Amino acid sequence: MTRSVALVAAVGLAVAVFAQDFFPAWPGFHTWQYAGAAAILMIAVAGYVGAASKGKDGERGYRLLLAMGGALVIGMTGLASGLLGADTLTIARAPGTVVPLPDLDAAAFFPNADAPSISQGDAEILLRRRDGSTLSVPAHGRRFVGSFALEVHPQTAAFIDARDERGDHLTVTQPTGTAFLSPVLLFPSSVQIQGQTLPADTFATPAVHRRVQAMYFSPTAGASTRVHQMVGTRAAILFAVDDESGHLVNGGLGVAADGSEALIGGIQLRPAIGSYPALVISAVPAPLPLVIGGIGLLAGLVWAFAWPRAQTPSELASALPRAT
Amino acid sequence: MLVGGYFGERGQVAGPGGGPAMLAGAPAVSYSVKRVDGVVDSLDNYRGHVVLVNLWATWCTPCRDEMPALENVYERERTRGLIVLGIDQGESATVAGAFARHVGVHYPILLDEEQRYGRAYAAIGLPTSLVVDRSGHIVRGIDGQLTLAQMRDAVEPALR
Repeated sequence: MTRSVALVAAVGLAVAVFAQDFFPAWPGFHTWQYAGAAAILMIAVAGYVGAASKGKDGERGYRLLLAMGGALVIGMTGLASGLLGADTLTIARAPGTVVPLPDLDAAAFFPNADAPSISQGDAEILLRRRDGSTLSVPAHGRRFVGSFALEVHPQTAAFIDARDERGDHLTVTQPTGTAFLSPVLLFPSSVQIQGQTLPADTFATPAVHRRVQAMYFSPTAGASTRVHQMVGTRAAILFAVDDESGHLVNGGLGVAADGSEALIGGIQLRPAIGSYPALVISAVPAPLPLVIGGIGLLAGLVWAFAWPRAQTPSELASALPRAT
Repeated sequence: MLVGGYFGERGQVAGPGGGPAMLAGAPAVSYSVKRVDGVVDSLDNYRGHVVLVNLWATWCTPCRDEMPALENVYERERTRGLIVLGIDQGESATVAGAFARHVGVHYPILLDEEQRYGRAYAAIGLPTSLVVDRSGHIVRGIDGQLTLAQMRDAVEPALR
């Protein structure tokens, strides 16, 4: 194994493993193809280590053993997290709920949400560990806890304000949702309308014996649809209001744009459309061996290529001016 | 009881799937909301009492059936430090207040229009009841309608 091939393999291995920290949710890290590629690179590095340790690459080869050792530690760490680490997990829960995370020895607190906070979409998830310490994960942010990366991915959500025809507030329930008493729709399912796949959710207003299907139209989807009343410049929700036997009530199909109220099937519906955070948990390489391996790799490269070599007696002698 | 170990000073309690029974031992969450008489109130204002929290709504038949028993236990045990706190889920003051007056309840009723108590207490249906001790910790979380005897059995250990 030549030195250059080994160097490329070592650096490639480090890049492939450190990439897990930068793109932790990428599912490719947990595939056999990724593990196979990492194994091939490690074999290349190990082959060079075997040759260099026998002196086949001279003093520079000896010095590179430190870098190659570091690369192998990095590779094994990355291989372990890729093969043994849990697949990426996305946790979407209703506002105000707590989810135990046994692997992290912690619990995730999903923040309460009202209409303005859903519209702003900047809520962050709080992680409380058993030792009492807390860690907040902001929208689009990333935090590391041991060999896990935590990211918050905002997902489409809508806060539903429902009132009867007299304007009295109605209880919104979600018998099939993640929280029974939640007016926040998280659109976990989807429907096909006019060739478009749209996020969908359902809720009920038991006081008036209605079940409601809600289909989310982004401004783009709304602009390209032929659904009556659709507003093309704002996000909107198409509501279908059924009675308790599942039949669409008279006037039970209508659209309410973000922040606007519409009387649909005898219910005044006002959605506040925006986003609510989902927690994405991904396995990443264990930090300690990764740091040790990284230091070894860098130190070894510096030692091999940037550190002056001690000259041998014969080199010193040849460097002296010859007496004539 | 993994979840119970994580309710620090923030006091938020809940979790999917387990219902209110899983909350025993956790600090009770509190939000400031209006009462039916318009005064802002919260569960925290009753610290030092044993509180029987009752999540309900006027459309819920078991909730309505349960209210006379709640009034009864409130009248019997209030001298021992029991407060019954009804928390209407998602309805207006006019609706909830009119119904409470019609039934003749005297215990305080909060209006939780955004249903925050319901989510925090992991309600999987209505009615949902919780017994909160004098230090503000949940003793029991119960899903479904209770009889007068069941209510007294639930609050008695905390009142002792």
